[in-house]
Amino acid sequence: MRRPLLPLLGRAWLALILVFLYAPILVMAAMSFNASPFYQLPFEFSTRWYADMAMNPQIIEASLRSVGIALATMVIATALGTAASIALFRYDFPGKRVLQVLLFPPIAIPWLITGTAMLIFFFAIGIGRGTPAVLIGHVALALPYVIVTVSARLSSFDVTLEEAARALGADAWTVLRRVTLPWIAPGIVAGALFAFAVSFDQFVVSYFLAEPGDSTLPVLIYTAIRKGFTPEINAISTIIITVSMGIMFLATRKSSFGGSR
Amino acid sequence: MSSVEVRNITKSFGRARALDDVSITFEDGGFFALLGPSGSGKTTLLRTIAGFSFPDTGTIRIGARNVEAVPVEKRDIGMMFQSYALFPNMSVADNVGFGLRVRRVGAAEERRRVAEALDLVQLGDKGGRMPHQLSGGQRQRVALARAIVTQPKVLLLDEPLSALDKTLRVDMQIELKRIQREVGITTIFVTHDQEEALTLSDRIGILRDGRIVQAGTPREVYDHPNSAFAATFLGEANWLPDAALEGLQLPGDRTRHRFAVRPEALTLTDGRPATGNALSARLEQRVFAGAMATCLVRVDGEPWKLVARDRDLPEMAPGSEVWVSWTPEDTLAVPREAAT
Amino acid sequence: MAEITAPEDRRRLVTLLSPAYLWLTLAVFLPLSAMLFFSFLTDLPQDAPDWGFTLENYLSFGESEVYATLLWKSLKLGVTVTFFCILIGYPCALVLARTIKGRARETLFLLVILPFWSNSLVRIFSWAIVLRGNGVLERGLEAVLPWDIRLNLMFTTHAVVIGLVHSYLPYVILTSYLALQAIDDDIVDAARSMGASTLTILRRLLLPLSLPGLLAGAVLVFVPVVGSFMEPRILGGRHGTYYGTVIEDQFVAVYNWPLGAALSFVLLAVVLLILGLSTPILRRART
Repeated sequence: MRRPLLPLLGRAWLALILVFLYAPILVMAAMSFNASPFYQLPFEFSTRWYADMAMNPQIIEASLRSVGIALATMVIATALGTAASIALFRYDFPGKRVLQVLLFPPIAIPWLITGTAMLIFFFAIGIGRGTPAVLIGHVALALPYVIVTVSARLSSFDVTLEEAARALGADAWTVLRRVTLPWIAPGIVAGALFAFAVSFDQFVVSYFLAEPGDSTLPVLIYTAIRKGFTPEINAISTIIITVSMGIMFLATRKSSFGGSR
Repeated sequence: MSSVEVRNITKSFGRARALDDVSITFEDGGFFALLGPSGSGKTTLLRTIAGFSFPDTGTIRIGARNVEAVPVEKRDIGMMFQSYALFPNMSVADNVGFGLRVRRVGAAEERRRVAEALDLVQLGDKGGRMPHQLSGGQRQRVALARAIVTQPKVLLLDEPLSALDKTLRVDMQIELKRIQREVGITTIFVTHDQEEALTLSDRIGILRDGRIVQAGTPREVYDHPNSAFAATFLGEANWLPDAALEGLQLPGDRTRHRFAVRPEALTLTDGRPATGNALSARLEQRVFAGAMATCLVRVDGEPWKLVARDRDLPEMAPGSEVWVSWTPEDTLAVPREAAT
Repeated sequence: MAEITAPEDRRRLVTLLSPAYLWLTLAVFLPLSAMLFFSFLTDLPQDAPDWGFTLENYLSFGESEVYATLLWKSLKLGVTVTFFCILIGYPCALVLARTIKGRARETLFLLVILPFWSNSLVRIFSWAIVLRGNGVLERGLEAVLPWDIRLNLMFTTHAVVIGLVHSYLPYVILTSYLALQAIDDDIVDAARSMGASTLTILRRLLLPLSLPGLLAGAVLVFVPVVGSFMEPRILGGRHGTYYGTVIEDQFVAVYNWPLGAALSFVLLAVVLLILGLSTPILRRART
């Protein structure tokens, strides 16, 4: 190395940022194993809070609800989003640009606005609050992510493959099933994982749409934090962050979002 | 302007040896082509001379100054890239003036020299354009003007013409040669295109596996290749089968040399000619290409190629027995030990 | 890509597209329109039979200084957080994209953006544990430094800024990184061959060429921060009243939905204005 100072400084900066990003999460995880309910040091290992958490019916119920909603969101958003991506890729039609641009408001507009707007509208048309409302909202938020991810994969798809299959006598549905879908499968898997994560981590929209009695996990945590939190919340938070980071790790590996060209 | 002297340079990337004890001198004001297949180390050598990478051992001298430890921005070189590498956020004039501004020559001086350089490449009226508004050939010229405007000691060109289509490439070759002569700058030019190397340069270095195989004027290298690799990489060679050597006039000892003939040195006739070296052959195919024609023949089972003016060739059907002949002086004698 | 000509193509197109877009219409576009409508109502139709139209919800924004002050406070928070995200994140993207190569780069990039995809509420909560009085940060610093430390960071504006920067920093890194790594290495090499120093290359090439990415990142940070309410609530305590928290209150505490809708809509207008202003710059840079 000729001028080692600058690259060295750069690496040090990067290391500091990683500490900044991960330290609080690690502290939280460590504290979930600390016996003291007031986060007192010295550290004393205990799995007490995990046991407490497992005995807490509210947390269990909210966890199951969150996972259920996330799974349902994943299935619906992936199916609808994949279909839309294929149509947007395959056909040229007037208004296509508009449809593509319309994907951005759900991503770009603050969830506070989207969430309150959904609340007002769902009450006006009689859906009201509750799990169905939450599910409708989550699917809408996840759809753009699925469409963007699957479209990115599709853009590397060679259309002449479809034409070749057609020339060999395959009909449109056979081409879709045997040629197109296998090619975009990694994009679909990544999109599905994104959809799951968007729903599983979603707090704002769930907060406005969930019925106070049967909330999702993030809403439960928010309420608990505001009441003055207990280490049980640490325990479930640690589990949540492990699950969501694990899922996103898989998703970024599957899609080009990971930065590889 | 300065000469460039490279002495015993080695450079390894991990286990791979990109440059293996390379020594070569580039004379002041000369136009030197580095020619070789991909992976031969020619680009590594150019980038080492430029100062983008540093040799593991050896010395590089530009003019009177040893530069092997000097980073690129302090070497005072001009470089042109295969992708042109024009700055997309700057106008043509700002691109050309970049190096001058870095050197703080002053606004008036910068304007004058930018105008001069743009005139030299015949783009005097395009200073206000942005790079994306120019054609490929124009970008090429801007890149050239940008590389020489600072009057660097040496101009380094990394396959600068390979992105152009054929007719434009020929125009640019002529243009490049004219400008190089006018400016008189020492120029080192990397290419894998042998025709380009022959047309442009007054000296050629052929590289293979990180070594300089042969260096000399284009004519020297073409007429006296010192290895089978040099003979086939620069031009084409028809190798004389060992069994056919009997009775031929050869310019060297057959135990120490292999012999070859260039396609354009061969004559094709239907009867055996009276003088010179001749071998019987079978005509396999004749490919018409306007003024010239290429004939594929077989000599003792070896495929040979022959190029001649179409009108000089006798009319013969594929499969006919023919004779190929050449004057003995046109035989290339290639040392055997180097022939791999 | 095929032009739509045959009726069966048209049918297939509609079959593929309409479910997704109907869903988006039902769950996003109609609600946003409904919010505009509700913001002009005196009362909720389902609550009060004598509801009517009024401009009062918007007028109260102008009459009471509270809302304008809070919106201004939220905008300032957005500027502060965006500023720190750029200050911290852009050099990081620069290091990642221009000095680290190969597998190490991919892994580090993944590590940097991974937290961004994890639960933001939980991450904010983790800061509450770190920053609280006599918490991990103070105790940790006490262990290193000889004197008594009283940072008192928890329930301050600083805590809110730290939490938000932590939440949104990966956005700036992601977009800047993508813009920076798209810059051709030859361009930097060319500048160096002309004698440019690292600083000149940064100032005249890398920064201008990656500006669209940086700007996109800034917008992606600024917009949600202006609308944030959960982060100030958890980390800001008494100082945690912002425009977003006031909107939240209208829906979950005060139950004045028409006023909440009007406040939301003002925020939406601000957001759209910012997005609209930044679009031409982002688009121009793409050519």
